[in-house]
Amino acid sequence: MVFAKDMIATFWFVLAFSIASLTVISRARAGKNIPQISRVPGLDALDEAIGRATEMGRPVHFSPGIGDLSNAQTLAAFPLIGHVATQCARYDTQIIVTNRTPTVQPVTEEVVRQAYVAEGKLDRYSPDSVRFYSSEQFAYASACVGMMLRERPAANIMIGGFWAESLIIAETGSQIGAIQIAGTANTHQIPFFVAACDYCLLGEEMFAASAYLSKNPILMGALVAQDWAKMAMALVIAAGALVATFAPKATWLSDLLKK
Amino acid sequence: MRREGPIILAGMAGLVSIISCFFGAPGFKVVKDELDQWFLIATNFMVLVGLINLTMIHWKRVSQKRAGWGYSVALLVAAYFFIVHGLVRGSVGDVQYKWMYNTFFAPMSGTMFSLLAFYIASAAYRAFRIRTAEATLLLVSAVLVMIGRVPIGSAIWDKFPSIASWIMDYPNNAGIRGIQLGATVGGMATALRILTGIERGHLGSDV
Repeated sequence: MVFAKDMIATFWFVLAFSIASLTVISRARAGKNIPQISRVPGLDALDEAIGRATEMGRPVHFSPGIGDLSNAQTLAAFPLIGHVATQCARYDTQIIVTNRTPTVQPVTEEVVRQAYVAEGKLDRYSPDSVRFYSSEQFAYASACVGMMLRERPAANIMIGGFWAESLIIAETGSQIGAIQIAGTANTHQIPFFVAACDYCLLGEEMFAASAYLSKNPILMGALVAQDWAKMAMALVIAAGALVATFAPKATWLSDLLKK
Repeated sequence: MRREGPIILAGMAGLVSIISCFFGAPGFKVVKDELDQWFLIATNFMVLVGLINLTMIHWKRVSQKRAGWGYSVALLVAAYFFIVHGLVRGSVGDVQYKWMYNTFFAPMSGTMFSLLAFYIASAAYRAFRIRTAEATLLLVSAVLVMIGRVPIGSAIWDKFPSIASWIMDYPNNAGIRGIQLGATVGGMATALRILTGIERGHLGSDV
């Protein structure tokens, strides 16, 4: 088998990560002890936001961003939509999920519908809850702004892949006084969310959300392997800094990583 | 099987994509290219699903004469006019279609984008107003970067551009890369959980 160009180091990293993840998951399945993970205030605040919307009798808005199904951030948003929809179904609070990507629309519809089924409240599920607005970025943003100004959700949750529309939606949420929880891995949008929202999930916190909310030991196990991978990366970065400082002409480490 | 079927299919498709990404085996590449075509076809079909949803919601709003139903009429007329016009006369090469796009859609889209400037100002004002050590640090670094990036900055003190570049190249870059590394590993872990069927949130299961 011939490796594709410049993919050898990446392959070994992905393989080691996959083996580590599956090992920790199998330990969790066997009932062995898995380390606890630290608290994530943004995720703890989800139930608080839904509770606030319930008390005020106003809807909860969830946007999974504008990424499509090939974007890991969009995939990470689905379990969160499920969690929020379950809570909304439980407390008879209206949920509004807005979509920009046509491929995401049927998935979010199914996730929300299943949440109502799981709560035994399918009769309360409204197809209007999950809305496709537009596949155009700013048309989607303007539709979200219009919806927020008209229907005034008490909680605005934006978790997924966001680009330039992030601040337009988040600032509107701030103007209508909604409690706002946002999360994205797009580093250029994180400052906007930090400035405009009450809680912000930074990059990896979003990917840890499903494990965190479910407290499922198997999913928690996968997070442990994530931490190991980050430690390995930190060691490589430290080694790179040392090599660059003390042997600036040496290229063996960068050559190894570029392979 | 309703749950297992999609998981098995996703796992197999993911495995083919991963193998074709890492290895140069031509057989896998052919299968991956074919799967990419299927994805494109499914994506285009989903536009129809989105259009049906959009029509249902706005038609209901119009028929029930809810507040702002006139906007729904405008949306439906515009959407279907563009579709019919595009199907009858073509879209990419058609002069009229291009004129409508450039005259109506592009300015409206540009207007939404330009709102960002005002939203950035209001969000920054709120962020800077918070009296915490972090907000103060944010304010000081933002002022230094802004002054360093405008011509008057170098006129006041020629070191401002260098300070702005240093903030962007070192502390800012270090933070961004830290987040990116975490997010990359998180993305990999999510993909692995989905491909092995451990994570089923996208199928409507409980988290």
